[in-house]
Amino acid sequence: MTSTTQEVPHDEKQYPRFRTMARIEHAILMVSFTVLTITGLPQKYALQAWAEWMINVMGGIEFVRVIHRWAAIILVIGSIYHLFTSAYRFFVKRERMRMLPEKKDLQDVIQTIKHNLGFTDEAPKMAKFNFGEKVEYWAVVWGTAIMALTGFVLWNPIAATVLLPGQFIPAAKAAHGGEALLAVLSIVIWHMYNVHIKHFNPSMFTGMLPRHQMEEEHALELERLEAGGDPWPELALPVLHQRQRIFFIVAAVVGILLLAGLVWAFTFEQTAIETIPRVTREVFVPLSTPSP
Amino acid sequence: MEQLINKRRMVWGGVCAVLACLVAIYVLPTLAAPEPDITAVIQSHPPITDANQTAVLAVNQLAHAQIADDTACRLCHSDTEENVVFPSGETVSAQIDLAVLANSAHGDAASDPVACSSCHQPINNYQQPHVPVSADTLREYELTQSANCQTCHVQPHITSHPGPESENPVACTDCHGSHDVLTVEEWQSGAGTEACTDCHVEQDVPIVEASQLTEIIQAGLFTQQVDNSYCLACHSQEGLTYTFPNGDTLNLTIDANALHDSVHGDGNSWQPLACTDCHEDVRFPHEPVTVESEREYNLQQYPLCGRCHETNYDHTLDDVHGAAIAEGELEAAVCTDCHGAHDTPIPNEPRERISYTCEQCHSTIFDEYATSVHGEALLSESNPDVPTCINCHGVHNISDPTTALFRIRSPQLCAECHADVELMEKYEISTDVFDTYVADFHGTTVTLFEHQDPNVETNKAVCYDCHGVHAIKAPDDPEAGIKANLLETCQQCHPDATANFPDSWTSHFKPSLQNNPLVYLVNLFYQIVIPATLGFFGFMVATDIYRRVRLRLRG
Repeated sequence: MTSTTQEVPHDEKQYPRFRTMARIEHAILMVSFTVLTITGLPQKYALQAWAEWMINVMGGIEFVRVIHRWAAIILVIGSIYHLFTSAYRFFVKRERMRMLPEKKDLQDVIQTIKHNLGFTDEAPKMAKFNFGEKVEYWAVVWGTAIMALTGFVLWNPIAATVLLPGQFIPAAKAAHGGEALLAVLSIVIWHMYNVHIKHFNPSMFTGMLPRHQMEEEHALELERLEAGGDPWPELALPVLHQRQRIFFIVAAVVGILLLAGLVWAFTFEQTAIETIPRVTREVFVPLSTPSP
Repeated sequence: MEQLINKRRMVWGGVCAVLACLVAIYVLPTLAAPEPDITAVIQSHPPITDANQTAVLAVNQLAHAQIADDTACRLCHSDTEENVVFPSGETVSAQIDLAVLANSAHGDAASDPVACSSCHQPINNYQQPHVPVSADTLREYELTQSANCQTCHVQPHITSHPGPESENPVACTDCHGSHDVLTVEEWQSGAGTEACTDCHVEQDVPIVEASQLTEIIQAGLFTQQVDNSYCLACHSQEGLTYTFPNGDTLNLTIDANALHDSVHGDGNSWQPLACTDCHEDVRFPHEPVTVESEREYNLQQYPLCGRCHETNYDHTLDDVHGAAIAEGELEAAVCTDCHGAHDTPIPNEPRERISYTCEQCHSTIFDEYATSVHGEALLSESNPDVPTCINCHGVHNISDPTTALFRIRSPQLCAECHADVELMEKYEISTDVFDTYVADFHGTTVTLFEHQDPNVETNKAVCYDCHGVHAIKAPDDPEAGIKANLLETCQQCHPDATANFPDSWTSHFKPSLQNNPLVYLVNLFYQIVIPATLGFFGFMVATDIYRRVRLRLRG
C-alpha cells in the first residue's frame, strides 16, 4: 500500500453539509412520508385493483386509516421539531436564512436550462441551497401545511363544520388527495432524480458531500468553505447560553402548548357512533283476517 | 277394550257384551271419524279403522256367544236343491257355496268371521222346519236383509246411490253381494267393478250425476289412481271439517272451481294435477290423522310440493323461513302459507299480490312499505318497476336481513334499479347516486368491506341508513323526505353534528359549479397545478439528462 491510497482523491474530498438535527428531521420526514404514501394513495384510489390489494395486505381499510393517522401524528411532530430547530437557528444562533428564495434563484434556473441545452458552457454557481432544493423545501412546507390542515378537517369533520361551511369537508378531501398526488409525484420525479438517479447524494445520511457534487451543485458554498469560511458560525459561549436559556423556556412553554394542541386535535371528537344500533322489530305479525 | 269386555263377560255375560258392542259401534267411530257431517245416501261399509275392527269383533263375539256354531245351517244349505219360494212366485236357491262364503270378507278365512245367524236373525225364523218367508217379493227380501248390514256397518258410505228413502233404493247386497262379500283389499285392487257395470252398463240403469260418476264406474272404484271427482264427491260438500286434538278446525271442503282455476288446474302447462298427484298415498277410507294441530298438519303436508318444485323447495329449506322452522319456530312460512294449497293462484299476478302475500305474516312491515314511495306506486297503480318485497329480499332463497352481509351488500341491491339508466330515465331520477355514494367516504368503506370482509360489521352508512328501510320516501317529500330531515338523519350516526354538517355530504351530486363548487374548484386547481409542477420538474430533469448524455458522448 502506498501513501496515495490513504489520501482521499481531490474529487472525493468531503465537505460538511447537514448537521445531525437536520438529518433526524429528514429521517422522520422520510419514514412518515413513506408510510403516509403507502397508506394514503390506496385510500385515494380505493376501488382500483392494486389499491384494494394493498389495503387487503395491510389489514383492511379501517386499520390502514389507523396507520395513516399515526404516521400523520409523527409527521406533525417532525414538523413541530423542525419549527423548533429553525427557531433555534434563527433566534439563538442568528444564522442567515439561506433557504429563502432570492432573485438569483430565478437567474440560476434560466442559466441551468441554457447550460443544459448547450447555449452556454458556464454552469451557474450556486450557494448552500440551490433553486431545486429551495423548491423542494418550500413544497414540503406548503404541502405539509395543506395536508395537516385538510387532514385535521377530515379527521374532525364535526368540529370543522362548527366554524366552516359543510362543503369544506369534501373540498378538504379533494385538496388532501390532490396535494398528496402532487407531493408523491414530485418526490418520485424531482427528489429521486436529483439525489438518487443523477448521482447518489449521501449528505442526508453522512452529513457530508463530496467535492465534485459540491462543485456542480454548490459552487459558491464550496468557494466559501475553501476560503476558510465556517460551515456554521459558532457563538461565544456566554452569549449562546444566555440566548439558550430564554429559548428553552419559551420553547418548553410553546412546545407543551403545541403538544396539548396536538392531543386535543387528534382526540377532538367522536365523529360517529361505533356501531349502527340494531333495530329490533317484531317480524311475525300475522293479519287477523287474510286479505284478498 | 277387548280385555275389558272379556272381564265383564265373566260377570255379566251377554248383556254387557251388548252394551260394549253398542259403545263400540256408536261412540268409537265418531271419535275416529274426521267427517261427521257427511250425509251419505246409503249407510253400509265401514271404514277399516281400529275402532271398527273392534266393532266387528264385538258383534262376532255376540254371535258366537249365542250360537255354538253354524253346523246345523251348513248341514242343509251346503247341498240342497231346495228353493225359497216367494209369494210373488219368484224363487231363490237355498244352496250356499261354503267355499265362497269361507273366502269372503265375512268367511272363515277372514280375521273376524261372521256366523250365519249374525245376519239371518231372528233365529226363530230359521228353526227347522223354517217358517215361510215373510217378504212378498225377492226384492223386498233383499232390502230387508240389507238393513241387517247396518248392525255392524254404521259408518257413512260415500256414494250417490239412492238410499232406503228412495222408491228404488240400491241395497248393500246389490254391489257387495250376500255370501260372497269382497274384502276391502279386493275392492282396492279393482275387483268388484262388474257390480257397477252389471247395473249401469248391462242393465243400462241411468246414472243420475253422470259427469261425476261415469269415469269412476268405468275405471273401477278402487283403481290405483283415483279420479279427482272421486275425492270431490265428499270434499266438495259444504261444511266438511276436521277437528284436531288441540281444537283447531280444518275446513275439508275443497272449492272445485278454485282448484280447476289454480296454476295446478286446467291451466297447468304440464297437465292438470289430480288430487292424488300430491296426496299420493291417500286412500279411502283415510288413515287416521296423527298430528295434534292444523299447523303440524300443514308442516307435515308441504314437503309434497317439493316433489315437483324441487329447486325452490330445497332453497326454502336453507332460507330464513326454513332456518326458523328448523329452530322450532313453526309459524315460519312454508310453501302453502304463501301459495295456498288447493287454490294456488299465479303468485305475481297482479304484481301487488306478491307484497300482499308477505303482508299475511309481516303486516306491520307491510304497513310501512305501503306508505313508501315504492309501496304507494305498487299498490295504487300496480307499477311494474318499483320493488316488491321479493325484489330486495328474494323469493325462495330469502336471506336473513339482519346480518352484516345483507347490510354491506344492500347498496348493490338499490343499485340494481337506481344505477339502471333506462329505468331511472322514466322517473327522471339521477343514476349518479350509486357512483357518488361509492366515491364518498361511506360508500368507499362499505364497498371495500363488501369486497374484503363482507361478514364484518361496519358503522359506515348504507343507502337505507339514511333513506329508510321499508318506509323510503321521495327525497323531497315535504314531511318525511330526507331533505327535510337531513340533520336529524346525520345525527343518527353523528350525534354531535351541527347545522353546517349535512352540507359535508355532496347529496349524490358530482361536483360542478352549480353543486359543490368549492370541491369543483379545488379539483380544478390540482388539475392545473399537478401537470404544471410536474411539467416543470420533468423539463428540468430532461434537460439535465440531455446535457449529461451529450457530455458522455463527447467523451
